[in-house]
Amino acid sequence: MTYTPEEKTVIYEAAVKGMKGREVLDAIRGGACVRTLKGDEEEMVSSFLEPLERKGIFLVTALSADYPASLAHASDPPLLLYGMGRRELLARRKFCIVGSRITPPWAEKFGKNLSAELSEQFTIVTGLAEGGDAAAIAGALPSGNLISVLPCGIDMCYPAAHTSLKEKIIEKGLVLSEYPLGTGTAKWSFYQRNRILAGLSEGVLVLSAGVRSGALITAGCALDYGKEVFALPYNIGVSQGAGCNSLIKAGAYLVTEAADILSVYGIEAQKEKPEAQAEGDEGRVLQYLRERGETHVATIAEALGLRIFEASAALSALEIKGLATKTGGNKYSAV
Amino acid sequence: MIAKIICYALSGLEGIPVEVEADVNKGVPSYDMVGLPDTAVKESKERVRSALKNSGLLFPMNRITINFAPADLKKEGAAFDLAIAISLLKASEQLLSADVKDIVFLGELALTGDLRPINGLLPILISAKSHGFTKFIIPAENAEEARYLGGAEVYPASSLGDVVRHLVGMQPIPPLEMREFVPGQHKKSSADLRYVKGQPIARRALEIAVAGGHNLLMSGPPGTGKTMLARCLPTVMPDLTFEEALEITKIHSVAGVLGEEGIVTERPFRTPHHTATTVSMCGGGNKIVHPGEISLAHGGVLFLDELPEYKRSTLEALRQPLEDGCITVSRAGGTFTYPARFMLCASMNPCPCGNYGSTERTCTCTPAEIRRYRRKISGPLLDRIDLQVEVDNITYDELTSEEVNEDSATVQQRVNAARRIQRARFEGTNIHTNSEMGEKEIQEFCTLTREGDRILRNAFESMKLSARARARIIKVARTIADLDSSEEILPKHVFEAVSYRLFDKP
Repeated sequence: MTYTPEEKTVIYEAAVKGMKGREVLDAIRGGACVRTLKGDEEEMVSSFLEPLERKGIFLVTALSADYPASLAHASDPPLLLYGMGRRELLARRKFCIVGSRITPPWAEKFGKNLSAELSEQFTIVTGLAEGGDAAAIAGALPSGNLISVLPCGIDMCYPAAHTSLKEKIIEKGLVLSEYPLGTGTAKWSFYQRNRILAGLSEGVLVLSAGVRSGALITAGCALDYGKEVFALPYNIGVSQGAGCNSLIKAGAYLVTEAADILSVYGIEAQKEKPEAQAEGDEGRVLQYLRERGETHVATIAEALGLRIFEASAALSALEIKGLATKTGGNKYSAV
Repeated sequence: MIAKIICYALSGLEGIPVEVEADVNKGVPSYDMVGLPDTAVKESKERVRSALKNSGLLFPMNRITINFAPADLKKEGAAFDLAIAISLLKASEQLLSADVKDIVFLGELALTGDLRPINGLLPILISAKSHGFTKFIIPAENAEEARYLGGAEVYPASSLGDVVRHLVGMQPIPPLEMREFVPGQHKKSSADLRYVKGQPIARRALEIAVAGGHNLLMSGPPGTGKTMLARCLPTVMPDLTFEEALEITKIHSVAGVLGEEGIVTERPFRTPHHTATTVSMCGGGNKIVHPGEISLAHGGVLFLDELPEYKRSTLEALRQPLEDGCITVSRAGGTFTYPARFMLCASMNPCPCGNYGSTERTCTCTPAEIRRYRRKISGPLLDRIDLQVEVDNITYDELTSEEVNEDSATVQQRVNAARRIQRARFEGTNIHTNSEMGEKEIQEFCTLTREGDRILRNAFESMKLSARARARIIKVARTIADLDSSEEILPKHVFEAVSYRLFDKP
């Protein structure tokens, strides 16, 4: 990995001297700081870079060509981004999908399918948490068009349960972090991280958000940066969706299918995939689910005059075909 | 004069004949016991002395030696009291006219001379009968237990005096009337599916579980009737056969938990608390190895309420008995094997606060908390639980269908029919139910239609199921097909089987 003299200056200022913030960047850009590093300074930079390179970590500096433009103009740009994986993903169009950790199963399933569909056009940007983030990762990971931004040092993993998932993302996609190696998470690091999510992407989709969810902060940053905000609509009284609904009220795009997002960017949605067929009892159950939304198995059986186990079997069949999903408490909803 | 009396000692569930020899010699009065008696046996000296005196008999004031043969077996418990007393009477020539050969004497003595009941009478009687003994004198309070023995003369006596009067022919005790075994005769549990409100899915899972001998896990918020459902399990299981009842009674008799009725006529339902230790669960003890909860649940149901609260080591210890149907416990006193073929039924909350997936209340647990809670149950144990079902708290006021109000007897009939099919299928093997099938049997008996096979493949791809889960789904599908009296496993059976799983979803 080679760095230009400019990049090295940023690395020196940020990593060696520990400088932060807008002023440093402006000063460097304005020429006040741009200078050839002295011999010992140069040495300090290379001794800083050497262990990183051994671990396969590269640095994206605020003056690198592929540094996200909207972050460069932000009020507190990260001077350095540590990265592992496919750096070329930074050059692609990027779209962010986030959601709170407690996301209803149907929204997770929807998010996964959507993420898979969008990952053909965009690189999907998200975090590494459970729930909404995990759904976005699950959808985009097979194609590898995935950037995951960590709220901790790039050699750490939060939540720890996702360590192997992180390894997979490094293998197929890209992992980014603005924190020095070994930094743990703090309350504020999630908020800080969220501005990178928004800054990297052309738009943000919120899969689920309570009234005080971190996903709302990402959406707020996106608005600050002039990006589009999208949200999934929820029933009244569903606490995991209250934040989404308030976003929509405030003017966010309402999303029910991938085309809702693609059309905003002038991309034509691909033709409808041939939908899996559901006939007989399965068809009736699916139709009922689509009309009523989330329903209990016993209610479905009662309404359609089926034995309870016939209804269970039909629902399992729909689940296997990816047309319905189990939402807990023996309830199902159509996807 | 030397007297020899037959008594029996217990080793696990087996009775071992012990000869009690008494020798009364002239000399300085003394009273010695040899032949590895433990403390309880040695203490019988004083009980026997008082009992003889208080029954109006003479305690010989001579040099007395009592020997227990075989000499290398440790003799434990108080069941030898009666045999010692009779041997002393015989040796001191107080019972000259009585023929005590071939009679087995069992019982503990009180100081008054009354006979007290002993534990493990039935296994002793069964072993003794197989050794060719047909005459028994037993404590009257144990009489009910002996009523189902058949083919033997059993004399229940309430005191040492009665025994002596019987032996000398002064007042013969009428032999015990034998009784026919009637399953379910002494019903203690009042549970019945009729009283369970709603829960159609759990009911169905219950039926399948019992029909195929599968283990069952119920997950649901507190207060949804998980325990009530579990209590209904024994009521839908097939009636006990006499052989099964005897085997269960033997275990309960050894453990000393047998009720007054003397025989177990309904399937056991054991609910050890979650503080139970591994030893109390699997069996053990210092000298005598007591059967544990899993053996007491033999032939019935072991219900573990709040599964994640049990100690992990205790749960892990269940894995081997679940596979083998028996447990072998080794202690200083010996190695004992107790049967432990039980149906495991477990219940748990979906998350620490209990409201995950609930309609009315919101769950306040973080995903990490839920993961930690569920991780307490090990995968290998979960792999042995074929049916996993959610019990929910939906109100059933609007539901009217008949299935929701069926009683246990109706379900039991369907279970019996499915079991008949399985008995015919596994004729000549040592497999009884679908749940016990191995890979070989699955290939032989669980042919899927081409359509069914395709479905299962799809299910695997879309749900990322493990190989273990595959075997589980096929076995459950086989049972569902049996309940449907269908020779082949049809797609609908596979679909339904797929719906009874909770934790191995993506």
